[in-house]
Amino acid sequence: MLYKIYSLGLFLLFTAVAAICLFYTLPAAVVQAHGVELEYIKRDAIEVTARYDSGAPMAEAQVAVFAPGSPAEPWLTGTCDSDGRFFFLPDPEITGLWEVQVRQAGHGGLLRIEVDESGIGPVGSAGFTGLQILIMTAAVIWGLIGTALYFSRRQPE
Amino acid sequence: MFAGKTDISLEELAAAIYGRLKMKKCGLILLALVLLVPVLFSVGCSSVAPVSNDDTAGSPTEVGTLVFTANGEEFIREGFLTKDGWELTFDQAYVTMGSITAYQTDPPYDTDQGWDIDYQVKVELDGIYSANLADPASDPAELEELAEVPAGHFNALSWTMVRAVEGPSAGYSLFLTGQAEKNGRVIDFTLGIEQEVAYLGGDYIGDERKGIVATGEIAELEMTYHFDHLFGDGEEDLDDPLNEEALGFEPLAALAVDGVLEADLASLEGALSSADFELLLSILTHFGHVGEGHCLAQFID
Repeated sequence: MLYKIYSLGLFLLFTAVAAICLFYTLPAAVVQAHGVELEYIKRDAIEVTARYDSGAPMAEAQVAVFAPGSPAEPWLTGTCDSDGRFFFLPDPEITGLWEVQVRQAGHGGLLRIEVDESGIGPVGSAGFTGLQILIMTAAVIWGLIGTALYFSRRQPE
Repeated sequence: MFAGKTDISLEELAAAIYGRLKMKKCGLILLALVLLVPVLFSVGCSSVAPVSNDDTAGSPTEVGTLVFTANGEEFIREGFLTKDGWELTFDQAYVTMGSITAYQTDPPYDTDQGWDIDYQVKVELDGIYSANLADPASDPAELEELAEVPAGHFNALSWTMVRAVEGPSAGYSLFLTGQAEKNGRVIDFTLGIEQEVAYLGGDYIGDERKGIVATGEIAELEMTYHFDHLFGDGEEDLDDPLNEEALGFEPLAALAVDGVLEADLASLEGALSSADFELLLSILTHFGHVGEGHCLAQFID
């Protein structure tokens, strides 16, 4: 009697192990054979268009993208399409000024693109030039002096 | 304060206020000058500081070495086919340079900004340097090594192409000797260009980035001369913009006598057609580059 119970226990144990193995292996094999999972995320990409002064596209031009803080090593390399266009998606976690170098047949240019926490923005203004600041300062000072002279003039009796 | 008088004008009101303040004419002018001085000082700093005017620039302990070089590329070292079919080889191609200055700029300088360059760090060479770019060893030609420069990215470069005062190219900013051959006709040429030109360019553009000085490391920065802009490139289509804007060699070959051409800019002014002479002058404004990056250029008189 004890032997029968022992045998039945062993049988149930092996059956359970086999069932578990089938559960984890067979379905997985089926998924790998027939299934795919497709997802998408909307992100801001950058389209670079490279042309010569003449307006002709820089078709198949070499492109090197440099991430902020790593000006020596390209973050990405590639080539423009036949219309001189190149698309890339900057890592949004690397904020700062991204640089895109486009070169072909001895001609080249460098494009700078600001990427901040809010996304891709235009390259920031270089600010006012020294001459502009000087002119604005002179205008303000002239205004102050003019005002001072006006109010300090001798009033007619 | 003005009780009983309701028709006071704005002028009277202001005059009354200033009168109350008891401020004298001299006091106001002095106040204006006090305001003016710090503002002008802050403007002046961005254009006259010899080394650094930004706290973010590398501290004196963060320094490296910057090597200034010049390069005429393979065109000048190995010779090339002009747009009009002349095979050129060069014995000498001397370019003389002065006022060589490198800048660290943030935001990065771009030639669209014009000649007004805002920088945080500036380093410069005092001397005049001549280099024979036709020498096979000039790949590139090293002009000077500047030690102890602040670490950082030197992303703008200015220099002048000036007349040499001594050596084989004395009197000329650009001096070329060599041979031209086409259909069995050979011309030994000597060309001297007296015109001096100032160049200002942005970041180096090429196979690798240049001008990035890491602490304790050496970096190069290169003045690059595009001789194909002068003679054209026979490997490219004739209607390529490069060739359309190049002089070629044929107008010069027409001036050779008994297989010898010796000319300088002064003699070419009368010998070339006015259109070709003007073209030659305009080429000088896009002759100097920083790698493949174009520069601003203007003649120095």
